Amino acid sequence: MNFSKRLLVILIGAWLPIALISAWWVSSADSENPYFPPLSIIWDRFIELWVSDQFMINVVPSLRNLAVGFGLACFIGIIGGSLLGGSKSLGRYFEPFIDFQRSIPAVATVPIFIVIFGLDAEMRIAAITFAASMPILIATIQGVRATDTTVIETATVFRLSRSQILWRVRLPAAMPLIFSGLQVGLQIAFVVTIASEYLGAGFGIGAFTLIAADSFLILDAWTGVILMGLLGYAINIIFDVVERFSLRWYIGQKKLA
Amino acid sequence: MNGLINLSSQTLERAPKVRNFRVPAGVISAVVALAVWQFVTVVGPFDNTSIPTATATVVTFFELLGQGSTYVALWETFQMAAIGFVIAVVIALPLGTLIGLSKFAFRSTKFTFDFFKVIPPIVIIPITILVFGPSIQMGVFLVAFSIVFALAIQTAYGIRDADVVLLETMRCYGLGTIAQIRYARIPSAAPFIAVGIRISVAAAIVVSVVAGLIGGAPGLGRAILLAQAGGLNELTFALVLLLGIVGIVISRIVIWSQGRLLFWVPR
Repeated sequence: MNFSKRLLVILIGAWLPIALISAWWVSSADSENPYFPPLSIIWDRFIELWVSDQFMINVVPSLRNLAVGFGLACFIGIIGGSLLGGSKSLGRYFEPFIDFQRSIPAVATVPIFIVIFGLDAEMRIAAITFAASMPILIATIQGVRATDTTVIETATVFRLSRSQILWRVRLPAAMPLIFSGLQVGLQIAFVVTIASEYLGAGFGIGAFTLIAADSFLILDAWTGVILMGLLGYAINIIFDVVERFSLRWYIGQKKLA
Repeated sequence: MNGLINLSSQTLERAPKVRNFRVPAGVISAVVALAVWQFVTVVGPFDNTSIPTATATVVTFFELLGQGSTYVALWETFQMAAIGFVIAVVIALPLGTLIGLSKFAFRSTKFTFDFFKVIPPIVIIPITILVFGPSIQMGVFLVAFSIVFALAIQTAYGIRDADVVLLETMRCYGLGTIAQIRYARIPSAAPFIAVGIRISVAAAIVVSVVAGLIGGAPGLGRAILLAQAGGLNELTFALVLLLGIVGIVISRIVIWSQGRLLFWVPR
């Protein structure tokens, strides 16, 4: 795509959000409804609240929990998934748990972690790690098992050991699938981060917003919701960029094929 | 559960190997897990902590099954999920079809719909608490909101996926737009919609529970919230156990009924 075409695509994608935000801005300008304050006032409050040390107090701890929890989940999911995917008998005994856990909404496991760990940061990180590791685990199992048999037989002919085949052949081949698991895992990690703050009162962007809503600080609640929405979207965008960079060999391969 | 709903999870949903576990292995694993749970909570290292024993949880679970209030909560959760789901489908299918028919509309809405699709519904719960209060309406709204964008995008993709040669052939034979939609666009969109519906059903139940758990809307979610806040740890564990079993039953029903209802869709 050349430059002008790309610009056109961006413009076509951009007019609707701009129109929607303008419509919200204009229609809410002299809103009397207490629940839907004028967007201009929400915006002022947003800047006042979040472009300040509130960001360090309420947002940075949330993001830190998210990062630590998701990082641990990646580690557990990929290592566990390669073990379970590599061994059929091991997999058979663990899959019922995975199946059962999958059918419980991630957010509903948070009360269990509150019972076990109390309301500390460890509870949050444990809940995030547990919930986010599941899709990664499942994707890794599938990816490791689905490796092209010709590739594996070739590796066997070249006398690669089993662990070499796992680390050098199966895992790289499973990467595209693992990344789709990572994406789902990251989204779940974000949801559980916020849910754990809603449920375990304290600090964090989720707790801030819910407490604001419960105390009828409507402006603050709106800014919190908007900030969480933007964060959720930004995390997805960052993930997309990382994925495209890490899988560029695969994307190139698909283009050729 | 992606956001609680994300269509990229369809690769995971299709997991053929993970789903077909053998029952005997499952029974062995479950028994071993319960035994380990019982051991660590009775003998140690988790004895005399807030963690309930396996036996206490199982007993509470069966007590729950004997109580009418459990079924009321289940019904409320289903009700919110079902109404929200129907509203979302009624909006998303026609909207997605219209968007899919026009290249301009498709490109215009892509960014906006993707934005709302990616944002987990849990984010907007504080606003829904303000506007609706902890009510059925709140649950219904959250369910519909969480599904509608993804389903509309999925429908639009399906509509756009129709075979160009087929469409041009129809045009040559003088068939109008309505006939093209009826005989080319909708059949091509059906498998896309089917995947979207399957994911939406699962998401509807999840969001319905979450609306109760976080926002205080009625149903199983609120039951868990009240149990946990009241320090009734056995009840909290038993309710989550119930939720897991209900989830497994629903996903089996959805897979089974999809095979029957959408028999022409290749899987």
